[in-house]
Amino acid sequence: MDQSIVFIDLGVGGMTCDGCVVHVTKALEAVPGVANATVDLASRSAVVTANPGVATEALAAAVHATGQYNAFERRRRPASNA
Amino acid sequence: MPDAFDLLILGSGSTAFAAAIGASELGARVAMVERRTLGGTCVNRGCLPSKNLIEAARLVRDAAHPRYDGLVPAQLVVDFPALIGQKDQVVRDYRAKKYNAVADGMSDLQILDGSAAFDSPTSVSLDGRTIAADRFLVATGSRPIVPKIPGLDSVPYLTSDLLDADEAGRLTDLPESLIVLGGGYIAVELAQMFSRLGSRVTIVARSGLLRGYEPELGATLSEVFAAEGIEVLANTRTDGVSGNSQGVAVTVETPTAGRILRAQRLLAATGRRPNTDDLGLDQIGVELDADGYVVVDAELRTKVAHVWAAGDVIGGQHGSQMATPVGARQGRIVAENAFKGARRRVDHEVIPRAIFTDPPIGVVGLTEAEVKAKHFPAVSATTPLKYVPRAGAIHRPEGFVKMIASTIDERILGVHMIGESAAEVIHEAAMAMHFKATIDDFIDLIHVYPTMSEALKIGAQAFRKDVTKLSCCAE
Ligand SMILES: Cc1cc2nc3c(=O)[nH]c(=O)nc-3n(C[C@H](O)[C@H](O)[C@H](O)COP(=O)(O)OP(=O)(O)OC[C@H]3O[C@@H](n4cnc5c(N)ncnc54)[C@H](O)[C@@H]3O)c2cc1C
Repeated sequence: MDQSIVFIDLGVGGMTCDGCVVHVTKALEAVPGVANATVDLASRSAVVTANPGVATEALAAAVHATGQYNAFERRRRPASNA
Repeated sequence: MPDAFDLLILGSGSTAFAAAIGASELGARVAMVERRTLGGTCVNRGCLPSKNLIEAARLVRDAAHPRYDGLVPAQLVVDFPALIGQKDQVVRDYRAKKYNAVADGMSDLQILDGSAAFDSPTSVSLDGRTIAADRFLVATGSRPIVPKIPGLDSVPYLTSDLLDADEAGRLTDLPESLIVLGGGYIAVELAQMFSRLGSRVTIVARSGLLRGYEPELGATLSEVFAAEGIEVLANTRTDGVSGNSQGVAVTVETPTAGRILRAQRLLAATGRRPNTDDLGLDQIGVELDADGYVVVDAELRTKVAHVWAAGDVIGGQHGSQMATPVGARQGRIVAENAFKGARRRVDHEVIPRAIFTDPPIGVVGLTEAEVKAKHFPAVSATTPLKYVPRAGAIHRPEGFVKMIASTIDERILGVHMIGESAAEVIHEAAMAMHFKATIDDFIDLIHVYPTMSEALKIGAQAFRKDVTKLSCCAE
């Protein structure tokens, strides 16, 4: 198990269609330290797999920078609990 | 156990709804807890029902006093239970459209019934259940003060809750006579409303009417009330109350004599207090001030980082006022601060307010007393509305507009108006002050002729010249 990986649960606002999901996913995955992001339209949430050094603010800022969406952190889970 | 909510809001008034909508747009899962009726004070027992009935009372008054020679006074028959019935319908319709339907349309909002209190910093108990959340907004509003008067606890009395459409405290019969305790805005609005619908009304006020507002407003209103047959006992202490469901007797001490007042009903309208007594806030470290209001910083955060408070429950902090649109704005700010990291601060510099008496009152900005207390160099000009062409044209000359301007840069710091349409006119002043308008900005703007808004142009000109000599269109 890679100790340097966490799952970060986010709430995501402003998404209305699959295109939005793509935008938010790309924005999150462009943040340094993020391995991948799974964004879900129906539950308006995302799970980001990242190294623990990735700051909440960096994820939120990347999503805000799209101009349309909002993201906030719910919690972080160690990858072993996934 | 289900996931914790992102935001749990205590209360479901206009403050709560604005926060819920804002937070939901930002992606949050929101729960709102309500122990009375969805929508809170304004829609159910405040602004909406009072303004509905006040307008009906105005129709009755205007029919009996048509102001124009050639219009013969008419006596409208007041069917009070039917009048209350239509008011209840307006409330229910509005509540259904603006609250229930809005809530139903938000997939991530849950409404929970019951009385909530914190049982830990991250959960509230709700009738035996525990509901967890990451963040909280205390938007529990306020309720009428029960004044400390000997005997009051054993006498039936009304509060502004009489306006409610669905609760037990609602009023369905017009009192033949009514004693109103209090001289604030709720007291004067309801006193005039009952008087015009046919009650014999006496106001008992500890000081004058509308303490805290520009003093001339209360003085003018006192004259209007006297002319309408409302007795106003100012600077009067209430010593005791006795009575039963048939009638009440109130012992008062006026500046000149002791008196015993008798009436069928008693209305206590001596102010409001925050609903914070039984929320368990002290146990989780949220600070309350001496009057029970939740202490917040300018970002509306309490002493506990994940708990915010807004609306009536924060009272007058940071220049706030207990009014529906103020709470709604704050609710929106809380949502952005909680879920967007926006760090927005409240901006209460320009809050227009209205008192829906007749003539109505509109105010915005500082009073002369506040200007003096802050040591701002300022001047004021008071213009009787009889110099406003429209007021003369429609036989509504009573009232005045008082404007206060800085002597440093001539910015308008406050506008206080009583008279026809003042509640509408005040928005021009508010928008102007928002953009830091000066005396000349008001003078240079072309105003529609003949409107009551010209009062602001003429009121501004009064700083420069004798407005009794203006020609048409205030030039
Ligand atoms: C007669 C009258 C006339 C008014 N007229 C005007 C007007 O013309 N214009 C204007 O702007 N303002 C007016 N107001 C003021 C306005 O109604 C309030 O400022 C506004 O309603 C405050 O909104 P709020 O959301 O902060 O609180 P509220 O609307 O009071 O909502 C708070 C809610 O929280 C609920 N609650 C409290 N404690 C708990 C608990 N422990 N658990 C669950 N629920 C709880 C309460 O039941 C209530 O429904 C008037 C008020 C009155 C009484």
